[in-house]
Amino acid sequence: MQLKIWHKMIIGIAIPSLIALLGGLLAYGYITDVKNRQGFVMIADDMKEHVLEIRRNEKNLLLHKDVEYFKYCGDSISVLKNYLSNISPQSTAEIGESNFSELRNSIQMYSDTINNLYGQFQTETDVVEKVREEGRKLEAYIAAKKSNGELSTNFILNVRRLEKNYMLFRDKGSFIAFESAILTMKNIVPICYECIPYTQVAYSLSKAYNNSESLINELQATGVKLENITYGIAGKERSRINAFLNRTHTLLVAALILLCTIGPLLVYKTASYIVAPIKRLSDITKKITEGDLNQRAPLKEHDETYSLAMSFNTMLDQLQLTHHSLEQSIELLHEKQIEAEKRASLGFLISGVTHELNNPLNNISLTAESMREDINELTLEELKEYIQDILSQSERAKHIVSDLLEFVGTHKAAVMEKLDIINLIEEAASLVANQLRVSNINLKMDIPNAPFFINGSKSKLEEIFVNIMINAVHAMKSSGRITISARPDKEHKRIIIDISDTGCGIPEKDLKNIFEPFFTTKPSGEGTGLGLSVAHSLVMKHSGDISVQSKLGEGTTFTITLPGFEEGLL
Amino acid sequence: MAAGLQLMIIDDEPIVGKRLKRMFEKEGYAVETFLNGASAIEALEKKHFDIIVTDLMMGSVDGMKVLDTAVKKNAGTRVIIITGFGDQGTIDEALNKGASDFLIKPFKFEELYKAVKKAESGLKAT
Repeated sequence: MQLKIWHKMIIGIAIPSLIALLGGLLAYGYITDVKNRQGFVMIADDMKEHVLEIRRNEKNLLLHKDVEYFKYCGDSISVLKNYLSNISPQSTAEIGESNFSELRNSIQMYSDTINNLYGQFQTETDVVEKVREEGRKLEAYIAAKKSNGELSTNFILNVRRLEKNYMLFRDKGSFIAFESAILTMKNIVPICYECIPYTQVAYSLSKAYNNSESLINELQATGVKLENITYGIAGKERSRINAFLNRTHTLLVAALILLCTIGPLLVYKTASYIVAPIKRLSDITKKITEGDLNQRAPLKEHDETYSLAMSFNTMLDQLQLTHHSLEQSIELLHEKQIEAEKRASLGFLISGVTHELNNPLNNISLTAESMREDINELTLEELKEYIQDILSQSERAKHIVSDLLEFVGTHKAAVMEKLDIINLIEEAASLVANQLRVSNINLKMDIPNAPFFINGSKSKLEEIFVNIMINAVHAMKSSGRITISARPDKEHKRIIIDISDTGCGIPEKDLKNIFEPFFTTKPSGEGTGLGLSVAHSLVMKHSGDISVQSKLGEGTTFTITLPGFEEGLL
Repeated sequence: MAAGLQLMIIDDEPIVGKRLKRMFEKEGYAVETFLNGASAIEALEKKHFDIIVTDLMMGSVDGMKVLDTAVKKNAGTRVIIITGFGDQGTIDEALNKGASDFLIKPFKFEELYKAVKKAESGLKAT
């Protein structure tokens, strides 16, 4: 992907932000719509209120049957009409033109019915006046005649009471009671000329009443229709708002889900793209720290890390070059050091050999010279002593040369055989027993009873132990104790032998040189400085190990480890 | 004859002491031999020696220490060093410290005798 880090970051941040923005914008649009729709609901509610007001007046009118209420009804219808004419054409279009035309038609119908009802009300009032007049006449007649057949004053009075009731209430119950009284009157007096005018106007009243009744029914039906239309409009607007709200809700949830899933995914991916080259660099740095200078940063991304990786690789090239030349210098230095050490140790060896050989040579030379000068004066005993000195010093020189050859490994090969090392230690101890006794040194043996077999050369092994014991004797001067302990280590098939003395000890600075050839702290003649180095090289020839521990003034312990016998190694 | 000059011979090789004692005594010197530096220094505390012939490498108290002690005690004492191995550094050190001669073993008695005589003439001069 050839994108820069900041491009990646923008993508990672911008896409989730865009999703959030889109969701927000859509929600904003829907909320604006909902707000507008709420205005339409208010219009619908206002219309509903006006219709309810009309219907309230209608109820009052029907209850009281009074002229004043006709006026109220008319007023409230005018208010509604006025309200409708004030609604903007845009709102009318949004709410629905058909709803409004239906509403207008119904209002018109209602208004017409009210007017008709008013006309009918006037007619009915006129007829009522006539009924009252004729009633009064009939009542006067019946009262003057006292009686007309069956028609009694009381009956007429009762009819007039029912008539008054109707005048008063103008309701269905009182009307039916009055109408039935008139019919009864007809039945009682089938031919009654005085009664005809009264019954005729009563009949007109009945007709007017029935007309009013049908108009009232029509009015109420139209009122209900008006109510239904306004309720319908309000309901429709509310359900539209609900639909909008539901859609907004769904949309917001969808945006949120998208944001919650794609957002973290994109951020994670972007972070990974940004971090990947840096992590690779870090891994490579780790490998380089571990010493692998051949590592190079791959040049994959063409972003800001590209130049970093380039510089990093250039730095590594330089580092490798420097490292290489440093290594060469170190190698050269090392070689020079080895050379210097070789020269130094050769010098040390030569000076040691020279010193060690020159002493017996000097002794021989001085003795010979003395013999030559005093040959005539020397007694036989003295001559013997001189000759013995020459021989012993020659022997000493021979030993030095032989030790030296042993040390450099050109001496004849030792014969290896199966040996009981326990027995060998005892024999070696007996070789130095005399010297120990003379030097007043105790020997303590702490060795197992059972034999422990190893591969070895009897004479060489004896030489090792004798050399170390002689070294111990020299360290203790006049008295002390040598302890030899042997511990077989069955697990590792080896034996560990400790030879300790209670001598003067070896200074710490000399411990590291103790196995070096010709290294000695002893006076001349007491040791060639080869004893321990020969012991060391002999132990090595037996595939063993030798080490030393010492404390100044307390003593020294040499520890020799030798592997156990194995068939096939002989 | 050396008129009984006091000669001290120190060497951890007993043969050296024995042979030199006999030969120098024949030449008229009063000779005392020592096997290590410590006992020689002890003797120096008690007695004056005109000429000291000492080995260099002798364990803990070496010839260099004997030289130091002898020169410190009496600047007139002549010290001749004899050693089995002597590098130039050691020779220079000994001569700087006041050794009158430095002989490498094996040496002929005549050589040592000459060195002693030379030291003796130095003694006379002072």
